[in-house]
Amino acid sequence: MEWTIVTLPLWVIAGVVSFYFSLGNARVWTSISVGFFLILVAEILPTAINFLPGLEVPEVQALTSIVGTIAILVMSHGFQEYYVFSRTLELEGSKPLVYVATLGVVLLSAAFIWVNFTPTARTLELIGVVEKTNWVFLSLINIDLIRKIYANIQDSPISNAFAAFILVFFFIFLWKGSELYIQIYDLETLNTLAAAKGESLFRYDLSFYCKEIGNILAGLSVGGTFLYLAKLLR
Amino acid sequence: MILLPRGNPVREKVNPGKINLPDALGKLQKSNFTGYLRFDTLNGTGIIIFTSGKLISALFDSDGENLIAYDAIARIFELSLDGKANLDIYKLSSDLAMSVHALLHGKVLYKGQELKLIDIKSLLGKLKEDKMSGCLRIYTDEKIALIFYRDGNPLGFFHDGSTDIETQPGESMSVARLPGAKVDVLSTGGADEIDLADLLGSADLGALWRKAQEMIVRQRKNQKEAQNRDRQAQENDLRVRLQVLLRSTAEAHIGRIGSSLIEKEFEKYFPEGQGWDDVRFNKMLENLNNAAKMVAGPSAIKKMLDDMRKGIRALLHES
Repeated sequence: MEWTIVTLPLWVIAGVVSFYFSLGNARVWTSISVGFFLILVAEILPTAINFLPGLEVPEVQALTSIVGTIAILVMSHGFQEYYVFSRTLELEGSKPLVYVATLGVVLLSAAFIWVNFTPTARTLELIGVVEKTNWVFLSLINIDLIRKIYANIQDSPISNAFAAFILVFFFIFLWKGSELYIQIYDLETLNTLAAAKGESLFRYDLSFYCKEIGNILAGLSVGGTFLYLAKLLR
Repeated sequence: MILLPRGNPVREKVNPGKINLPDALGKLQKSNFTGYLRFDTLNGTGIIIFTSGKLISALFDSDGENLIAYDAIARIFELSLDGKANLDIYKLSSDLAMSVHALLHGKVLYKGQELKLIDIKSLLGKLKEDKMSGCLRIYTDEKIALIFYRDGNPLGFFHDGSTDIETQPGESMSVARLPGAKVDVLSTGGADEIDLADLLGSADLGALWRKAQEMIVRQRKNQKEAQNRDRQAQENDLRVRLQVLLRSTAEAHIGRIGSSLIEKEFEKYFPEGQGWDDVRFNKMLENLNNAAKMVAGPSAIKKMLDDMRKGIRALLHES
């Protein structure tokens, strides 16, 4: 089954909803929603390799993984800022600065890739591991952070949306954690070898389904959460 | 209340707080004034009597205190400077001034007797028999007349507008005929025979005046401080009530974080001692509006701000 058919439209919807959301709401939401929007970029590009010319270029693939890393870093920064606000009630920064700074980081990353050697398969693999590691650990940290935010704003109109974000990061953890597990233990190769012997590798099968289901649920929950948030913030 | 006929008015209804009393008394001394000055205040009545430019007598009478001489002058100065006194100056003859002095410093034998209930003939007979020196004070709420006696024999009459002791009863008897007229019997006890010293000559009225001025300044300062304290307490009370109202409104609309936001913004825009100001209130709401966007949508925020404005208006109107 080609899971991309399911996950990609979900991420397109989630990306559009989150980016649209970033435009019309408080500054801190900009970091969070821009971060979720970048997931769309990081998801679309690898999937579109077969259809769009130039996407097979290793530099582009490296940049895709880096954008994925930037996505989780930007949204984590947003949640951190929100947590600081919920504790100190202090607000600072500006919306345009978030867009410009995020774009700046993406461009600097691109420049870094272009001034270096062409990434080998090993380099791409390492960049991918770094990306997924960031996703896995920052998802856990974000779950804890959002739990604290939820406790601070428990009875406010949008508190339930934060409960939904906990679910979002749980699904992301499941998705990216499974990907990382497969990559670290090279389960794909082991599964290919097992398949050649007419066997199946349970760990791979389990991780694969966790990854795909996690991906679908993450895409669904991101889109759903932002729509719910938009309703609450009407 | 000292009940005395008005005599021949020289000046009436003067605010003694607006004049330099030691200078004014000095001028009366120089002009050989004979008569009396009456100071009516909320705290009592003061009388200063002059004969031929000599300040022979000062008296201040109120429910709680009866002061004479310098103490009376000092009290009159204080109350005059306080700005709540009324001064009337009446001219009298020397004899009448002395009689008034004797009367004021004499003893009250009977007070407030209803004239119609008294056997006036017996009373006059008793005065004659006892060879009393003094006077009968006959009065209603509007009019007063005095009948002076020496050694039991009538000396003369004094009523409103008289400058001297009059020999004909005239007006004095008409007071006695008024409904509700009362009579006091006063004995001078020989006070009219004492040779009286000039209080102006033996006292530094300038010093008394300055002391009274200092006291009034001190009193006003204390009064102002007390008023400030009261106002401060009222403002603090209002501040607490406003804060409680805003916090509860914010909490009802956007939860506990709304209450915390109000607390923070209120401390910033309305620190203790800072009175209410609509401009600062609107700025505070503007900031609150921005911060509230983090946890609520525009409609909830608008409703919250509207409720706050309404609540504040009602509370300010009420206080």
